[in-house]
Amino acid sequence: MADPRAPRAPFAPWDRRELPGAFTVEESAVRVGHYKWIEMKLFEVLGGWVATVPELDVKMRLGTHTYHHAWHAELWHKRLPELREMNPERLTGPPNDELVTFVDAMTEPEAPDLTIEKLVGAYRVLIPHKIAAYTYHLNNTSTITDAPTIRSLKFALQDELEDWRDGEMLIQSLIASPEEVRRAADHQGRLEHLMVLAGGIVGPGSIGDSSAPAAGNGVVS
Amino acid sequence: MKRSLPVDELARDDRFVRSSIEDRLTDPRSAARAGAVAEGRGRRRRPISPDQPGAPDAARSLMHGIFVGEVQALEGAGRTCWDFDLGAGDDEVPFELKLDMARQCWDEARHVEISCALAAWMGTAIGEFAESTILYEAACNDDPVMRLTGVNRALEGLAIDVFNTMREFGQAAGDPVLEFCEDWMLADEVTHVKMGSDWLRRLTAQDPDRRARALEFQKVVDKLFSYGGIRGDDDDSPVRLARRFRELAGFAAAEIDEIAELSREAARDRAAKASARQSASRQGG
Amino acid sequence: MPVSVSPDTFTLVDFDPAAIAETAEELVGQVGLPAGLDVRITIDERTPLGRVTVESLEPLVLRIEGGAFEDPKRPRQLSRARVVDVLGLHLFQARDRLDPAFGAPPVDADVPIAHKVAWDTHAMGRVERLGHPAQRQRRLYHFRNRHGFTDAADAAFDRLWSADRLSWPELVEIVG
Repeated sequence: MADPRAPRAPFAPWDRRELPGAFTVEESAVRVGHYKWIEMKLFEVLGGWVATVPELDVKMRLGTHTYHHAWHAELWHKRLPELREMNPERLTGPPNDELVTFVDAMTEPEAPDLTIEKLVGAYRVLIPHKIAAYTYHLNNTSTITDAPTIRSLKFALQDELEDWRDGEMLIQSLIASPEEVRRAADHQGRLEHLMVLAGGIVGPGSIGDSSAPAAGNGVVS
Repeated sequence: MKRSLPVDELARDDRFVRSSIEDRLTDPRSAARAGAVAEGRGRRRRPISPDQPGAPDAARSLMHGIFVGEVQALEGAGRTCWDFDLGAGDDEVPFELKLDMARQCWDEARHVEISCALAAWMGTAIGEFAESTILYEAACNDDPVMRLTGVNRALEGLAIDVFNTMREFGQAAGDPVLEFCEDWMLADEVTHVKMGSDWLRRLTAQDPDRRARALEFQKVVDKLFSYGGIRGDDDDSPVRLARRFRELAGFAAAEIDEIAELSREAARDRAAKASARQSASRQGG
Repeated sequence: MPVSVSPDTFTLVDFDPAAIAETAEELVGQVGLPAGLDVRITIDERTPLGRVTVESLEPLVLRIEGGAFEDPKRPRQLSRARVVDVLGLHLFQARDRLDPAFGAPPVDADVPIAHKVAWDTHAMGRVERLGHPAQRQRRLYHFRNRHGFTDAADAAFDRLWSADRLSWPELVEIVG
């Protein structure tokens, strides 16, 4: 057995976490406030849609996913004070009016024959953009100083990826004719356009800036 | 999407057919049967028991009623997530209440899943029986406190009584699947009733009038859902009040006594109405 | 085969006696009851309950509470599926009783509930093989409630359901 009193490195040889990250405390808090807002908008509309979809399997999945996104909203709500934002409501909001326009358009379908549109908005547009923004945050924030956010991002991403798969498979099971293919594509195109105008779920920079040098890319001492 | 979806817009596939409470109340055979029972000629309702020839079908019908109730509870909780803005006004709700309702969505979605599997086990087709929409109607109230009180305390309270009754039926019949399903759903319902009790207290802490109105609404729903005394605290009640689980869910003993008395009152009302109808029909005929 | 349905008109429920008679005639022929057997069906429309009483075999008189024929989705409406289910079962059991080879089961009131459910299983298996829906899983649930939620009970159910012609002693032997 190794000598328990012998000095050891604070970071084991297999621990490659690094100090630098792309976000300050304030920047991280702003993103988290936008995350909470969009998770709230998503769980509210999924809950509202439950009663409007006739397909029993879709109804049940929406009910389950409603909770997933509410739980994410709660995680971000609890994270805000830890990021020096003692009034979580102050940062709970959309990044810009364009994202509000997107959410309004996404939540518009109501009639029972619009299940495809409802699912496309949530699972082919919003959730993929959430996955992208969360992944960018996860891969660029400091793995040491921002570990609590990383932990929440990982929990959320696990749900997002599984829910995206559930939703995508439901959509595929509902699309059976060229007309339905067109409906899904048209609605996705319209919403995707609005999301592009918003710049993503936290506005421009949701997934970084591809024209800028990579941040936190091994530039360490 | 609009706020407050009316009951006739609940979306269903073609297997489901709705019956209204008016259908049942105006069924001329119900009056004839209740009158016969009141006069000692008809068969009285008894607690469901495996020794009754019709018990398996009665259990199937009851569990289908629970299944559609779970669907509506899911829809009602979902609508509470959507229908209200965040805030402290009477027509607004706190963030934490929405989180509880979202959690309830998941629980109710699981209950629908459990109910579908249980229906297959019991040989019941989805939509085999008519769907009553009373539960969702109670979830349509514009005041979130009324909604929580009517649904979470009154109707989920009834669910506690039914699940406990059916769990005992499953035990007596030796049906391991029924007993297992009821046991798990019962645990969730206790949580939901407690949620309703807690939110009633929190949201009306500074508003005794609002609390009184909510409790009055609960009484109306409790009486309506005693189904003319079928759910009660007496030995011959087909569905017995589950006192221990109701206490776990935040009901005071006096509140449970009051529900028992409401059920007796409903039974007396039902018998009196039936006798009156019988007399009227005899005089008319 | 003469089948009569009474009453001629219903006032509390929306039942069509001619439709009931037509379904009954079709079933009487399929089940194989003796040619010329007089079949009389009396419906008590005052009750939503569903009890059936066989009052005599020759003529075959069935007294049926109206709920037995009622569509479970649509109060007070006739369900052809329910008519087939209820009449199919009782017509097969009447045929069994009229067949000397079947043996002599007790009168209905004295048949133990466990044996009654076994006999129902045997009858409904035959109804299914006539090409009618017979709710096999529902019948299995009934059977398990009487005979246990066990592999042995399920095996007994399968024998009863799939047999084309059992005698009463054989039927009783299967369920022990």
